[in-house]
Amino acid sequence: MRDRALLLLYLAAVVAASVVHDPRWLGLALFVVTASAGRRAGTLARRVLVAALPFVAAVALGWLLVEGGNWRSALPALERLGLRVLLMTALAFRVLPAISLPRALSASPTLRFVLVLATSQVLAFRRLFTDFRLALTARSPRRVGPRVALRHGASTAAWFLRRAEHDATTMTEALDARGFFLDRD
Amino acid sequence: MHIPDGFIAPQVYAPAYGVAGVLWAAGLRRLRRTLEPAAVPKLAVATAAAYALMLVTIPLPGGTTAHITGVGMMAALFGAWQAFLSLSLVFLIQALMLGDGGVTALPVNALAVGLCGALAARGALLLIPWRTAALFTAGWIGTVVPAVLIALVLGWQPRLALAADGQPLFFPFGWSVTLPAIVLPHMLVGVADGLVTVMAWRALGRRSEP
Repeated sequence: MRDRALLLLYLAAVVAASVVHDPRWLGLALFVVTASAGRRAGTLARRVLVAALPFVAAVALGWLLVEGGNWRSALPALERLGLRVLLMTALAFRVLPAISLPRALSASPTLRFVLVLATSQVLAFRRLFTDFRLALTARSPRRVGPRVALRHGASTAAWFLRRAEHDATTMTEALDARGFFLDRD
Repeated sequence: MHIPDGFIAPQVYAPAYGVAGVLWAAGLRRLRRTLEPAAVPKLAVATAAAYALMLVTIPLPGGTTAHITGVGMMAALFGAWQAFLSLSLVFLIQALMLGDGGVTALPVNALAVGLCGALAARGALLLIPWRTAALFTAGWIGTVVPAVLIALVLGWQPRLALAADGQPLFFPFGWSVTLPAIVLPHMLVGVADGLVTVMAWRALGRRSEP
């Protein structure tokens, strides 16, 4: 119940952040969200900047070019967009770690089940992908060239697709052995 | 390629949630009704595979790299419907669990990349009789079609939502900027995606038509 309420609160806050256009309100909300982290406010601010700043900076520089380098005319749009993106990122980093998504989605058992299985596989695959990347780097005495990188990408993709097919079969057999599909008969 | 939070106006993401919501509900209902026990685990691992494919980087001229989308491969191996559901779940997991992407952009990303990309790839696989050419085109078009759609959606924002002073409220650049900036690099990424699709299909040992 708590998780669902938090998720709804987060979604409402994101929607609110996209309909408020006054930079003062957006800035105040960003300050409140960051300050609510207490002693970890600095860490939160740093994470938000690292995640959102490249996007904001790229758009800001582009918009500045479009406006012919005129800061005064470019500033209102940049201020609004930058604060909005930073606020939404801060909300995600502040609220989402506190939510158990499977519990929040308990109203749909199928979605919850798929999500739990998919997330566990995603985390395992992410780790395996890092291992593959490190293995390629370790085995390459020189910088990896385009042809090797392309071959590595293709064989990695094929490996994950084959592994996905295999895991689907194994999971189905494991679930079947535990009586998961009995109520479908 | 997919859009982060804060760039899309509610006039776009709200109806996009409506359309995507109907398709997600239909997909989940179909999944619940299916008598095939492997349907749910298959969707879960296809989702993980879609995520893993997006991690694969390929070299581009100029020393840069880009991530492939894997949409062509997903469509070839699992079909367009499963690719749409899996890629939607990837965007959901990225937005709500891994802090990547965003919830306001989720339906636009799901419809552009998951649905339209997979349908375009599936169309290429059905229409082109030569397997290698079909797989390459599926990989290429599965990258380029979503890029065009996302460029159109982003470039539409300054026409949709303007402040009283005429300044844009969301993404500020129009189609004259978004189309070349997003589509041209993805036409190149699509070539690599197409090559990876062909090579991965061969590495999988698939001899039959996708």
